[in-house]
Amino acid sequence: MNPSTLLSRRDFLQKTGLATAVAAAPLILPSGLRGQNAPSKKITVGIIGCGNISDSHFPAILGYPESVRILAVCDVDKERRDESAAMVNKSYGSSDCKAYADFRELNRRSDIDAVFVCTPDHWHALVAIDAMRNGKDVYVEKPLTLTIQEGRALVDAARKYNRVAQHGTQHRSMKRFHDVAEFVRNQGLGKLDRIECFIPPNNRHCGATWTPEPVPAGLDWDMWLGPAPWRPYTSLGCHYNFRFISECAYGQVTNWGAHYLDIGQWALDMDNSGPVSVEGHGEFPSSGLFTNSTKVDFTVRYANGVPMHCRTRHDGGGTVRFVGERGWLDIARNKMSASSNDLLREMQASGKKIQLPLSNNHHENFFDCVRTRKMPIADVGIGHRTTTVCNLGQIGMVLGRKLRWDPAKEEFIGDDMANRLRGRAMRAPWALI
Amino acid sequence: MSDKASPPAAKATRSAIDRKSNAGTTPDPWEACVRIEYGGDRSLAWSVREEVIATPPEGHAAAEARLLKALARPDGTDAGRAFVCQMLVMVAGATSVPALAALVRDAKSTEAARYALAAIPGPEATAALRDALGALSGPAKAGLIGSIALRGDASVRYALAGIKDNPSEAAIVREAATRALEHLANAKA
Repeated sequence: MNPSTLLSRRDFLQKTGLATAVAAAPLILPSGLRGQNAPSKKITVGIIGCGNISDSHFPAILGYPESVRILAVCDVDKERRDESAAMVNKSYGSSDCKAYADFRELNRRSDIDAVFVCTPDHWHALVAIDAMRNGKDVYVEKPLTLTIQEGRALVDAARKYNRVAQHGTQHRSMKRFHDVAEFVRNQGLGKLDRIECFIPPNNRHCGATWTPEPVPAGLDWDMWLGPAPWRPYTSLGCHYNFRFISECAYGQVTNWGAHYLDIGQWALDMDNSGPVSVEGHGEFPSSGLFTNSTKVDFTVRYANGVPMHCRTRHDGGGTVRFVGERGWLDIARNKMSASSNDLLREMQASGKKIQLPLSNNHHENFFDCVRTRKMPIADVGIGHRTTTVCNLGQIGMVLGRKLRWDPAKEEFIGDDMANRLRGRAMRAPWALI
Repeated sequence: MSDKASPPAAKATRSAIDRKSNAGTTPDPWEACVRIEYGGDRSLAWSVREEVIATPPEGHAAAEARLLKALARPDGTDAGRAFVCQMLVMVAGATSVPALAALVRDAKSTEAARYALAAIPGPEATAALRDALGALSGPAKAGLIGSIALRGDASVRYALAGIKDNPSEAAIVREAATRALEHLANAKA
């Protein structure tokens, strides 16, 4: 990923203070109006959701001023959208970037090629489907969707409208993860025994009860909730912390699990399938605002017998470890280790029989595919399968019993209650249609 | 027993008072869960949730009956009824439809009731959703139309076509009808 992604939105504004002297930008036409295959044409972009996760996208996208142009931003929080639009305009030295409160208005602009969906999880499916229905390619942050049914609907929409649709699992565009997945796929560890994923802990503490608060000026709380069940506003349960409330997200199971379980799926050649069972135990808080498990522990098992465990790690960040008959490999974003240096050397060797597609930059891969109409490295079909694994873990922990899963039919076998938890009815007026 | 071991009468009286003064009777979680408030203590509701989740299929009807009894309590809160309906999502069958059908027609309770109805398979729940069309308006009606479409209820096409073309309906409702008709057509194809 572009190093500039390490900058926060405010940092970026400060560091680009001199950029205002840039001459007014030329007229921008979307690539779709001038031939998407023409490499000289700028891809026009809208960013929906200007909170925490967008901080990694704005600097990255602004890093391609010659080929990509952000024309619009959207957020239900006025302060956030105005700040983001100002940052973009300052970077370009123009006033082209417009701020929207309603994503549907942005999606209906005919001069936008692609939309980045950076909202809280419970909005992903509706925003992305609406964008694709309006002819946009989409980059959807992880997890792809909140529920399994939403994921299937999103993938179906991508196929129906023939859109390029990238899932925001950028580990797929990091060579280290690619190399490990490829090595495992080529039996580099011999017969694979198990995969162990560790994810950071869930839930900050906010007490056994909470007090509804007045909605801050500039925040459209009804729109923030969108398809989630109504509840009164509290600052504890809005920006960022939404991920600890199961009506909006499934905590680190989907937040970090989407990254590390994804590499397990890749190494197992399960991008179009998934496990056949799940069993888990979570420790869920019986009081307070936050409802997701404070301790995650589940195991999915594949048809070849290989289990993939996912557990909370209280002493650090995420990691995924592959254990086979020849030893183990442990990989995180910033480090990699193995049971022997020989394994690391073998992993770097060329000429492997099975070669996985390689991308070194998730944004570039997406923009390239927008131009070429090829399938991106983390197409939403792949993302749906990985997000499904996260969902299986969540449902397995909620129900606390072993569940059998049919990855072809995408349904649990012999458990009606589990099947009902694959989806949810949405708060009016929203619906998955 | 010796005289030494027998407590004096005064001490016995004090002990009896102490025992009674500690606390009242533990609330029945199945009654208390429908009275929870947003932001309040939800631990009793959590007990119900754990029990519902652990109920084997042969016990779903009994759990459903207990939830419906809670739902019928006159002292239920919005948060409490929403919680009970969330539990019904997991175990409800046709038995729940009459109670939910009444609630889904009421603008105050329509959301929670619709979530539960949408999870119930079978023609009874489909009919309950369809029959509520004339009772709701605005966003609630749009949401109801979405739930009907997702069930693939083709019998509602004529009614939806009427809604779509009715200028007196809210724009959001007409748009929902249009989308639902497209969805039903695609599902058929």
